Amino acid sequence: MAIIPAATDLTRPYWDGARHGKLVVQRCNNCANHWHPPLPGCPHCHSTDLGWQQVSGTGTVYTYTVVRHATHAALAGHIPYVIAIVELTEGPRIVTGITGCDPRDVRAGMEVRVRFEAVTDDVTLPYFEPASP
Amino acid sequence: MIRREVAIVGIGQTAYAKALPGTAWELAIEAILAALADAGIDPKDVDGLCRFAPPFETVSEPQLVRALGIRELTFFAESPLGGEALGAVIAHAAAAVKARLASTVVVYRALSQSKGGRFGRADGRGPGGAAPATATAGADPNPHVVVAEEDNRSFAWPYGLMSPGQLFALWARRYAIVNRLTDEDLTQALGAIAITQRRYANNNPNAMMRDRKMDADDYRNARMISEPLRLFDLCLENDGACAYVVTGAETARALRDDPVYLLSATQTISPYREPMGIYVTGELLELFPPATAARLFADAGVGRTDIDLAEFYDATSYMPLRSLESYGFVPDGQAWRYVTETGTGPDSPLPVNTHGGHLSEAYLHGMNGVLEAVRQLRGTASNQVADPEIALVGAPAGSAMILAR
Repeated sequence: MAIIPAATDLTRPYWDGARHGKLVVQRCNNCANHWHPPLPGCPHCHSTDLGWQQVSGTGTVYTYTVVRHATHAALAGHIPYVIAIVELTEGPRIVTGITGCDPRDVRAGMEVRVRFEAVTDDVTLPYFEPASP
Repeated sequence: MIRREVAIVGIGQTAYAKALPGTAWELAIEAILAALADAGIDPKDVDGLCRFAPPFETVSEPQLVRALGIRELTFFAESPLGGEALGAVIAHAAAAVKARLASTVVVYRALSQSKGGRFGRADGRGPGGAAPATATAGADPNPHVVVAEEDNRSFAWPYGLMSPGQLFALWARRYAIVNRLTDEDLTQALGAIAITQRRYANNNPNAMMRDRKMDADDYRNARMISEPLRLFDLCLENDGACAYVVTGAETARALRDDPVYLLSATQTISPYREPMGIYVTGELLELFPPATAARLFADAGVGRTDIDLAEFYDATSYMPLRSLESYGFVPDGQAWRYVTETGTGPDSPLPVNTHGGHLSEAYLHGMNGVLEAVRQLRGTASNQVADPEIALVGAPAGSAMILAR
């Protein structure tokens, strides 16, 4: 049992990107600002000429928590797990999970890189792992 | 500006317990009738209702108009964002009274987590009682949980960020990171708040934790829920209801000798921010801009040192800690030391959460903190502060009020 996002017209390019191994964030074609999560229009210049920009997939841990108590039956087998906010090298922050290391080894400021994990046949989630093992 | 033009003339509540027999509707009626009786107002004369917006508040205005026999409801308003509605609901009540849209406004919050789902669980009902994640249809014996997009939830829940406690753990960890605290520093600070509030609750007959003592060992030995938050860093889950009645100042003085005046109230969402803060472009800890706190005090015409006590919204122990800084009582980055050295107990310069708060009295989305502030200013609280004149009630993202006797 996985917990998966239901894509909307606004969010679908993000999840499609992940399924194809690309981490993308929304960008304004008029003023070149970018942000995450997606918005109907640019919050800076209010243009609706928006696109999606692939980002490097690298960043640092902005904050994190090691979850030791399951709040949903679907998570019972996953304890402990790490939720993090990662600040991408390009600026925007995303909520993600840290995998590929012991939860006790996660640190603030740790350099991480994206690691795509297919959780169902149709859905791939971007997780992050330590950039240097 | 509201300064002393409206007042709280009545407060009422139910018992607080893990499970009460009544529905949220019944609990709301009980608390509202108690508040109106306290004010000496006939329920038929209520003409305004202000509430927390659904999905948090489930009891509707028409349900109450029918049940209370209200003749005509001329003003009603709902405020979103859970605990961040705390200052908004009274601001709306005050604005309605000042604009003569209504004369007698009831503000209420009724909660039946025993029937409607615990806030700490995401299966059954979502964070804050929001809509559940839905399981896929079909014969799959082990279906996936599909998260509909609403307020960026579809970007968070798949990673197991599904309950408020986990979100606030991210805030607390960020506080430790920015201020270069060790795990021990943070444990000391959060523990100081949890233990101080438990001591207040031990002397409060309304408190669910009245008979449950807690010392530093109990606090530390409790299980870790979402690091750095342990069990006793998280609020209670319970049933109960609170209500208060707002009228114009003149009416209030005619009704009782000790009305509690509203000096100011704030609600705020500033650009590029959101109350939960996950996707702020600035610093996560700055959940509301300093200008909001400045406006709260300037509108009230008082300064920090005029405040005799504070009731801070505390879904977790981290919130009162940071609120001491956000509202300007302690410089940024120093509250962790302040709560261990000076403290927030009965003999401290600023007693905080004198009823025990959400951690140890009960969880009512900040409303029980308003009732406690009113009791303090009337001089009838169980942990009575000596002769208080002014109190602040505030939520962590800037929704707040200043009250005075």
